[in-house]
Amino acid sequence: MVKLLAVVERDLKKFKRNPMVLAMSILMPIIYLLILGNSFQGKLQALPLVIVNSDSGFHARRLVDNLRAVEVQPQTLTIINAIDAKKAIDGVRDGKYKAVLIIPSDFSKKIDLKARPEVGLFLDNTDAISADAIKGAVNGALTSIYSDYVPIRERTDEAYLRDINLYRQVDYYQSLVPGVVIMAIFLGALTTGAFNLVMDRFLGIDESYLLTPLSKSHIVGGLIISGLSITTLIAVLIFTVSMIITGIPLSKGIEQSASVLIVIILTTLCLLSLMFVMIGRVNHPRIVGVLSGFLNVILFFPSGAIYPIASFPGWLRAFAKINPEAYAVDALKSILFKGENITGILGDVTFLIIFTFVMMMIAIVTFKRTL
Amino acid sequence: MKNIKAIEVSGITKKFGPIIAVDNVSFDVMEGEIFGFLGPNGAGKTTLIRMLTTLLKPTEGNAMVGCCDVVKYPEKVRREIGVVPQAMTSDLDLTGYENMDIYGRFYGISSKERKERIKHILDMVGLTARAHALVASYSGGMRRRLEIARVIVHQPRILFLDEPTIGLDPQSRHVVWDFLRKLIEGDSITVFLTTHYMEEAEALCNRVAIIDSGKIIAIGSPDELKSQIPGNDIISLAFENLSEDVIERIKALTFVHNVNIEDNNLRIYVDSGALNLPQLIDQVKSFGGKILSATVHEQSLEDVFIHYTGKTIREEGAKKVSMLIGAGIPQRWGR
Repeated sequence: MVKLLAVVERDLKKFKRNPMVLAMSILMPIIYLLILGNSFQGKLQALPLVIVNSDSGFHARRLVDNLRAVEVQPQTLTIINAIDAKKAIDGVRDGKYKAVLIIPSDFSKKIDLKARPEVGLFLDNTDAISADAIKGAVNGALTSIYSDYVPIRERTDEAYLRDINLYRQVDYYQSLVPGVVIMAIFLGALTTGAFNLVMDRFLGIDESYLLTPLSKSHIVGGLIISGLSITTLIAVLIFTVSMIITGIPLSKGIEQSASVLIVIILTTLCLLSLMFVMIGRVNHPRIVGVLSGFLNVILFFPSGAIYPIASFPGWLRAFAKINPEAYAVDALKSILFKGENITGILGDVTFLIIFTFVMMMIAIVTFKRTL
Repeated sequence: MKNIKAIEVSGITKKFGPIIAVDNVSFDVMEGEIFGFLGPNGAGKTTLIRMLTTLLKPTEGNAMVGCCDVVKYPEKVRREIGVVPQAMTSDLDLTGYENMDIYGRFYGISSKERKERIKHILDMVGLTARAHALVASYSGGMRRRLEIARVIVHQPRILFLDEPTIGLDPQSRHVVWDFLRKLIEGDSITVFLTTHYMEEAEALCNRVAIIDSGKIIAIGSPDELKSQIPGNDIISLAFENLSEDVIERIKALTFVHNVNIEDNNLRIYVDSGALNLPQLIDQVKSFGGKILSATVHEQSLEDVFIHYTGKTIREEGAKKVSMLIGAGIPQRWGR
C-alpha cells in the first residue's frame, strides 16, 4: 500500500508542477461545448434565400409574407429581395445564397383560375441539409396560402397533434452537457494514467522504476489512482461550469450530485483502464497522439451525446452496445434530464463496472515488467 | 573483501535475433569487491547488466545475484540491489529530495529512516544545498550524483553502475570516483560497474573483466592484466613512411618485446622505455626509417585491450555502433 501511494504521489506531484495541463484540460472541453453548440445548433438558421417576385397579386404577397414569418421565427431563413433572376441564380452558384425562389407574374392569376400555379426554387443541392430545410420552409409557406381562407377553429374534421413533454424542457445546449463531461473525462484519462507510462518510457526513466520492487499491480494501480483523482477533479469542475453556463437545475440536490459523481468516477476508471490496454505498451507519445484522435471519434460520436443511438445503422448500434461512453452519456442524461436516481441507472453502472474490471485485468496481464 | 560470492554468473548468453550480444559469459564477484566490466560501446556491457538486474531474461545460462537466481526470484534480487542505469533516469519534474524520497518509499522504508538516510547521503554527494531544487535545474554532474544517491537510499548490498561517468568532464568524474570509494569504505557493499574508460577501471576496480563482442577476453586485477603483456612501457613512434624491413629489424632488437602496427604508427612494447628510447631512435635511423614523433608511456589497460584484440577501444566502439544501427537492433540495446 505504501508503495502504491508512492506511485500515486509521484504522479500527482508531477502533475501539480505543470499547471498548464490542468488549465488546458478544463478549458478545452468548455470551448468544445461552445463551438459544438454554436456550429450544430440542432436546427438550421439564417439560410439566405433570394426571392424574385414578378407577381404583384394577392397570393404572391401572401407567399412572401409567410416566408417573412419564417424569417422572424424560427429564423431558418434570411430573405433577400431581387429583381434579376439570372443574377440571383449566379449568386447561388457563387455560394452567396442558398436558394432563389422565383414567383412568375401569372402565379396569383393561375391560383384563382386553378390552372396549376407554379413557383421555381433554384437550390444549392450540394448542401443537402440546407436545401431540405429551405424546400420545407417554402412548401410550408405555399400550403398555408390557402389555410387563411378557412379559419382553423371552424374545422372540426381535422386531427390535431397535442404534444405532451414527459420531462422538463431540455434545450440544445443543455443536451450537450453529458457529452462535454464525457469528453473531459476522455481527455483526462488520455493524458494521465497510461500516458505517464508512455512518457516515462519515451524519456527512458521507466528503467529506474522497473528496477525497484514495485509489482505490476503497484505500477498500473498507482497510475490509475492518480489518473482517477486528476480526471475526476477536472470532470467535476467542467460539469459544474457547464451546468452554470446552460442553466440546468439540480432539482434533487445532493442525491443527484452524488449520482453524477458516481457516474463520473466509474466512467473515468473505465476509460483509464481502456487506455492502459490500448497504449500501455506504446513507447512514443506520437503514437498516442494518433490513437487519441481515432479513439475520440469512435467512442464519442457513437455515444449518443450528439445524435440519438436509435438512428444509427445496425452495425453502429451494435458497437454502441459495447461503447462505455454510450452508457456514461445515457446515465448522465437520465440523471440530469429525467431526474433519475442511482437505481434508475443501475444498468449503465453495472456495465461500466464490468467493463472496468475486464480492462484492468487485461491491462495488468499484458503489462510488461521487463524492458 | 570477504570470501563470499556476491555475484555468480555461469554461461550467460543473450541473443537478439541473429545477433549474440552476450556470448557464454561466466565470472564471479566477491562480496566487498569493486568489479569492472571494461569494453567498447556495443560490447554487450549494458545487456549483461540488464540481465543481472532482472530487466532482461537471459537466452541461456544463469546468474545468482545476492541471495537468488535472477530469473527465478527477480523480486528478491531487486530488493538487494541498487542500479544506476546508463541513461539518466531521475524525474526532472521533481526535486532531488523528492526523487530520493519516493524511491525510498518504493522499497517500503519508514519515513523516519528515509529522512535520516537521505540527509546523510545528500551530504555525502554534496547536494544538500540543492536538495529542494527541481532536477531540471541540475547540471550533468549533479544529476549523475543524484542518480547514484537515489539508489542507495535502501542500502543495497550490491550496486550496479552502467557507465557511471559517461559524458562527464574530468573534474566531475573525479568527484563521482571519490564518492564511490567513500561509499565502499564504510559498508561491505559490492560494486559492479561497466565502463569504456581505462582510467576509470584502473582507478576504481579491484578486478576487471575485459569484454569484446559479447565475450570475456581477459579477467584479473588491473596489475595482473598488465603483467600479462610483455614489457612494462610502450614507445609509440609515428613514421613518415613505414617499410616491412624497418618493422622486422625493430622486432629483432634485444630490448623489444613486441610490436603493434597501426597505419604508419608503431607501438613498441619494451622494458625501461625512457632509457631505451634514444637507442631505439638511433637504430631506426640506421635502418633508414624516418621518425616524425615519439612518446613513451606506462602500460595501461588500454594496452591490455589492444594486446588482446589488436584494436583500440574507442575506434572499435564507433564501428560497432554503426553496425548496430544497420542491423536494426531495438533502440534500447544500443543505449
